[in-house]
Amino acid sequence: MPANREWIKERLGALGLPPQREQEILRELSEHVEDLAAASEAHGMGRGEALHATLDSVPDWTELREAILSAEAEEANMNYRTKTLWLPVLGALTLSNVLLAGFQIFGPASRFRWPGGGTSLEPYLVFFVPWLVTQPGVGAIAAYWSRRAGGTMLHQSVAALAPAIALLGLFVLILPFSVLLDKQVEHNFRLHGFLILTLVWVVLPSVPLLLGAAPFLRRAHAQISR
Amino acid sequence: MRTHTPGIDSKIKRGSGELAILAMLDREPLHGYEISKRIAQQTGGVLQFNLASLYPLLYRMERRGWVKGDWEEAPSGRQRRYYRLTTEGKKQLAPLREEWGMFFQALHRIAGVSHAG
Repeated sequence: MPANREWIKERLGALGLPPQREQEILRELSEHVEDLAAASEAHGMGRGEALHATLDSVPDWTELREAILSAEAEEANMNYRTKTLWLPVLGALTLSNVLLAGFQIFGPASRFRWPGGGTSLEPYLVFFVPWLVTQPGVGAIAAYWSRRAGGTMLHQSVAALAPAIALLGLFVLILPFSVLLDKQVEHNFRLHGFLILTLVWVVLPSVPLLLGAAPFLRRAHAQISR
Repeated sequence: MRTHTPGIDSKIKRGSGELAILAMLDREPLHGYEISKRIAQQTGGVLQFNLASLYPLLYRMERRGWVKGDWEEAPSGRQRRYYRLTTEGKKQLAPLREEWGMFFQALHRIAGVSHAG
C-alpha cells in the first residue's frame, strides 16, 4: 500500500461516505499519486520531492473533495436508467390512469342520457374519447421528461407509450391467466374480443401518445453539457 | 481537465472529458493513471487530466453505469482499479461522438474552428 495514503487522507479530509467506499477512493488516489511520483523519479527527481510535487499538483483539495462527493451523490440513489426511463414511465402511467379514472368517476358518463336510449357503447365513448384527447399531453410530458434527464430516443419513445404498453402487457398476461383461473371468463372469451380490446386500448391511444411526444423525440443535446 | 482555453465552460469540459474517457476505454480496460497518460499522449498534451479532474468524472460515469471499476493486478504486480466500458457506456459513445462532431462543425461554420477528424 503506498505510503502517501495518509497524506492524501489528511488533505482530503473525511468524505463521509460508507467506510468501504471511502477506503477504496483513498486507495485509488494514492495508487495514482504513486504512479505520478514514480514518473517524476524516473526523470531524476528524489522520492520525497516527487511525492510532494505530485500532491502539490492538486490546486485545491477541498474542491476535489467536493467534486468527489458531488459525483458520488449524483447517481447514488438513482441510476441513469431510473432517471431517463423508469421515472418518466411511472409519471406517464400515473397521469394517464388518473385522467382515465377522473373521466370515469367525475365525467359526464353517469349523468349522460343518449337521445333515444342509445346503445351500451355510448357511456364508454363519453369517457373514452375525452381521455383519448388528453393522451398527446401525456406523451409529450413523458418524452420531454425523459429527454430532459438525458434519455435516448428509445427511452423517450417507451416513456411516451408507457400507458399503451402497460395495457398491452395487461391484456397479454392477465387475460390468459383469467381464462385459466376463471371459468366464466373462458366461457365469454373470444379472440376477436381480445383484438378489439387491444385495438381500442393499445393501438388507438398509441397514436395520440406518439403525436404528443413527436416534437420532443430527439437526442438529448444535454449530453454535451451534462 | 486542462485545455488551452481557460475560459471554456466547465460543463463543456466535462462533456468532452466523458467522450475522451469513453473512447479510451472502448479500446481496452485501463486504470486511472493509464487513462490520463494515454489521453495526454494521444492528444499531444492538449487534453490533460489530473487527479482532481479525472476521478470525479470517473466516479460520476461509474454511478451512471457507463463504466465499471474492478481491482485487478497490473503488470507491475500492484492492484489497480481497472475501468471498463459497460453496455450502457457503449450506447453513450456513438451519440456523444456524433454530437461533438456537430458541435465542432457548428463552431467551424461560425468561427472557422475545425476539428482534427
